[in-house]
Amino acid sequence: MVVREKTAREKLAVELCGIALETPLIPASGTMAKEALGEVEGVYGAILPKTTTPKERAGNPPPRIAETPAGMVNSIGLQNPGVEKFLEGLDDFDLGVPIFVSVAGDTVDEFAALCERLSGDSRISAVELNLSCPNVEHGGLTFCAGPASVEEVIEACRAAIDKPLFAKLTNEGVVANSLAAEGAGADALTVINTIPALTIDPNTQSVLVRGGLSGPAIKPVALRAVHDVSRAVSIPVIASGGVAGGTDVAEFMLAGATVVQVGTASFVREPEEILREFSDYLERMDTTAGELTGALRGL
Amino acid sequence: MKFHPVKVEAREEIGGYTLLHYRWNGPVEPGQFVMARVAGYPVTFDPFLARPFSFYDHDGETASLLFEVRGRGTALLDDSPDKIEVTAPLGRGFRVNGAGGPVALLGGGIGVAPLKVLSRRLESMSIPYDVFLGFADARYSDVAHEFPGAEVATVDGSSGVRGTVLDAAPDLDRYAAVYACGPNPMLAAVKRAAGENAFCQLSVEERMGCGNGSCNGCVVPVRDGGYVRSCIEGPVFDAEVLAW
Repeated sequence: MVVREKTAREKLAVELCGIALETPLIPASGTMAKEALGEVEGVYGAILPKTTTPKERAGNPPPRIAETPAGMVNSIGLQNPGVEKFLEGLDDFDLGVPIFVSVAGDTVDEFAALCERLSGDSRISAVELNLSCPNVEHGGLTFCAGPASVEEVIEACRAAIDKPLFAKLTNEGVVANSLAAEGAGADALTVINTIPALTIDPNTQSVLVRGGLSGPAIKPVALRAVHDVSRAVSIPVIASGGVAGGTDVAEFMLAGATVVQVGTASFVREPEEILREFSDYLERMDTTAGELTGALRGL
Repeated sequence: MKFHPVKVEAREEIGGYTLLHYRWNGPVEPGQFVMARVAGYPVTFDPFLARPFSFYDHDGETASLLFEVRGRGTALLDDSPDKIEVTAPLGRGFRVNGAGGPVALLGGGIGVAPLKVLSRRLESMSIPYDVFLGFADARYSDVAHEFPGAEVATVDGSSGVRGTVLDAAPDLDRYAAVYACGPNPMLAAVKRAAGENAFCQLSVEERMGCGNGSCNGCVVPVRDGGYVRSCIEGPVFDAEVLAW
């Protein structure tokens, strides 16, 4: 019997909650506009548009972003047109790969209602629950206050939808919250969201942006969280936090991630370059994306 | 976001501003901008983000960016790099309405930057125009020499009339169209001076993260409520659309 060696492209394939993905990269929610889709065709294994909420949200007043060393702090405030308009425009995101939808509500009931609204839509392969936005007045990070609140919202969503559910969690308390999410029926965990942060303008002696830190600056924090969580749970981990190159992707997979999100780095690099670097890494190490997950030596 | 490495052909100082010329033979619309940074990225990721700049000029072969050093990103670009990295031209620029007589171009400080490409477009369409420029002081107003016939105002009165650009442009409502770029308070004042029924287009200056619509960081408030992105829906807006 002749066993054909996998092509470089085939080595990128992974499976997440029964969904076949051509590559292990997906966009982090809120970092890829439909205007930027042309850049990512063939790059992402699935598409994940910006978080949608029950009603339209104007978002926070500017200034919304501030550059920091190797990163940025943002406070966008979930600006979006609301779930109905979002669904009207969802076909714009059809690149022939699975579509995951990120949702956020102010309350448990709103989360459940959003899940119910999406449950019958065959265009949607999975739902990511944004339980960790640091930039909204209600809901947001409070859902990550502890295992009890995580459990409550996931149980309500679980009852409302049959599609795979991902719980996107903040760094603080991530292991306990991950275990609670798993116990309540989450199918995967997205680890981590931006980290609460503050920037100050010394010239005006006032706050510049109070929001969430993202970018390469947070990579080691996210890596630690992914590693800790993947050892604690038996459901897949989706890594998010500071991925900016192909070896970052490899490191997150070694730490236990099944797929890896690219977010802020897509503002300053082409995601295609990151995928190419990761593919080169797989060739160099004579391995595949699927084999890499959790293959970290030691510890 | 895709960045193209380009060779810097020349660096000039014009008063308090820096002008970088680089090879770029693609089309450029008046009012469009690029994200730019020094080459060598992403070795340090610091500064992390590229910076948005209006095209100052473009002749089909070479493009140029006029900027003021404000922070680390612009300081590095000012430090005689051989190569920089730029995106393709971005955003929605000035819409030129050919009907109705002379038009006014107003620039506040570095807001002078997009007016050169716009003036060339107006010349190619045989539309007469007047240029009004406001600066902090005479050091910056040197760039006005690049706009022959421009009326100049400086806040300290060291060049031209004392005051803001609007003090140099007393009768805005007599123009068929008004085009302006500068800080938001200036643009709001131009909008008021142009009058409610004017064809008035304003190019906003906002901090930007990505330049391709993804980060929602560069938004401006609009009249109907909410915010729109200056990198995609702008940076040039019909004045009536803006909330201020």
